[in-house]
Amino acid sequence: MRGVLLRIENLRVAVRDKLILKGVNLEIGDGEIHAIFGPNGSGKSTLAMAIIGHPDYRIVSGRMIFDGEDITEKPIYERARMGISIAFQNPPKLHGIKLKDLLARIASENGVGERFLEIVDKLNISQEHLSRYVNVGFSGGEVKRCELVQALASNPKLMILDEPDSGVDVENLELIGSFLTESLRGRSALIITHHGYILRHLKPVKAHVLIDGAIACEGDPELILNRIMRDGYRWCERCRLMRSG
Amino acid sequence: MQVDEERLREALSKPAEHGDDLNLEEFEHESVEKVEVDEDVRKRGLEVGVDLNKASSLTTFLQVDHEIAYKTVQKQFREDIELMSIREALERYSWVRERFWSLVDPYADKYTAYNALKPAGGFFLRILEGRRLHMPIQACFLSYSPGIIQSVHNIIVAEPGSEACIITGCTMRKRDQKGLHIGVTEILVKPGAKLNYTMIHKWGPSFHVRPRTGIVLEEGAVFSYNYVLLGSVGSFQSKPSARLEGGGATISMSNIIYLDGSSRMDLGGDCSISGGGDRAELTSNAVVLDRAKLVLRGRISCEADNGRGHISCRGLMLSDEAEIYAIPELISRKMNASLTHEAAIGRISEDQLMYLMARGLSREEAESLIVRGFLDVSPLNLPSFLEEAIKKVIDLAVKGF
Repeated sequence: MRGVLLRIENLRVAVRDKLILKGVNLEIGDGEIHAIFGPNGSGKSTLAMAIIGHPDYRIVSGRMIFDGEDITEKPIYERARMGISIAFQNPPKLHGIKLKDLLARIASENGVGERFLEIVDKLNISQEHLSRYVNVGFSGGEVKRCELVQALASNPKLMILDEPDSGVDVENLELIGSFLTESLRGRSALIITHHGYILRHLKPVKAHVLIDGAIACEGDPELILNRIMRDGYRWCERCRLMRSG
Repeated sequence: MQVDEERLREALSKPAEHGDDLNLEEFEHESVEKVEVDEDVRKRGLEVGVDLNKASSLTTFLQVDHEIAYKTVQKQFREDIELMSIREALERYSWVRERFWSLVDPYADKYTAYNALKPAGGFFLRILEGRRLHMPIQACFLSYSPGIIQSVHNIIVAEPGSEACIITGCTMRKRDQKGLHIGVTEILVKPGAKLNYTMIHKWGPSFHVRPRTGIVLEEGAVFSYNYVLLGSVGSFQSKPSARLEGGGATISMSNIIYLDGSSRMDLGGDCSISGGGDRAELTSNAVVLDRAKLVLRGRISCEADNGRGHISCRGLMLSDEAEIYAIPELISRKMNASLTHEAAIGRISEDQLMYLMARGLSREEAESLIVRGFLDVSPLNLPSFLEEAIKKVIDLAVKGF
């Protein structure tokens, strides 16, 4: 049996004074890919931010165990150094910091060295793109690929992908999909996706549906996605009510 | 141009239009110490990007206080450029005498007047027609004696079709030294010439600086004027002015400033476009910390068809006691001219910090990367040796970050 890499226990998270996550439980095993579905505002990105340790996302109660260690109180950069990485949905622009310089730094601090250049090649990132400032003047597809290469340059144990398929054209989606299929092999990942396009390429072992800050449903990703596509998230709402009733 | 001594004496009491007013009586006028070019002086040179040790450049010019200590041009370049003291050039060429003080008004204020009354060195540099030089021409001015006014006057002429890159470093011997540097520089970029003129300055908290620069660009000339100041300065005031006269000329003036301590700096740039299709761009990237106060004045006026101008100012505040005051001015007198400006001043964005920290950088490491990024010189498209030199200087200056 595979070991558990990340265990989230009854996690409640507030942003400013508003409670967003209202008791989330989740387990991701070594080498497992999990998907999170949920309507807008259900708390998907909040869950991602809470896992990476963004200080604006305050843990009200519950805990997170990563690789056998309680990380609930650990700062964001320590979690990154332990092997949690993220591809952000809407990353900021970094004027003055070139993509190649940032990548070289992330790679060297994680013992990846020059090997990050292989990832650069696979993601079809040009020299010109590498010498631009991070996210400044990037197209939608370039932003996503830039996030993926950064997230992987640290050779993480767990990769969180926040909407890797939103705002991306078909060609980029194909590229990202086949790239992730290969790169996530043997790695754990949590993929947040609103419309599930990326799941044409990736096959998670399990999907979790987040509704109003709690996991409303869990199970086979394909079945759940098909049902959501057919009946919308109202189906999950009913399901949750039935379960709680 | 002949100067009128009586008018100059009157102008000696005239404060500059901007910046702190200094009492010139409080400074020494003569060099009181015997100048020695030792390891210490060479080290100061390196801090402002000028390597006095090796033949790494095409020329080396070093002036310490009022004396020219070195003036060498490598043999193979003696057909390409002329480098001599300003005094020698004035004696040799009548056209230099006519040009002298034609681009900077000697009666403008007490600093120009002082410089005209008490000239004490400076260089004349002429890049000959059609010569394209791929190595830097370097010059260094060092204030050595405590309390001294270093008053230099330089003339640079880029003859038609020539290309060159000049780096001047200005600094002083001791960090706590008092003094005043008045540097008058007149630059003429003739048709089709390309000139890159980069200044790197490093001063101290009791040192005052009043550069006065006038530039003319003739038809199709391309001129980059880059000013880098790192660290502290007692007070600084300068507003280099450029006239674009010939049509199809391009100027970019870029300031990279990292100002700390109780420094007071008033830095401007003034471009007037009078040739059709000329382009002017003024860019300032400034980081202020401690109690430093910085005024950035950018002014572009356009009187020519299809002139283009852009002023951009980005300021990073690292202290609540520091201040940045940005004043962009655009004056258009043509319907088809296009003049724009943008300014953004703020602290380090928390979003950027979190983004970098999520990649494993500590807060301090992330801050350092953002501050250094702010001072990035790569958009200036400098020759690589110059970019490297400035990077090294920046690394030394922002060690705390």
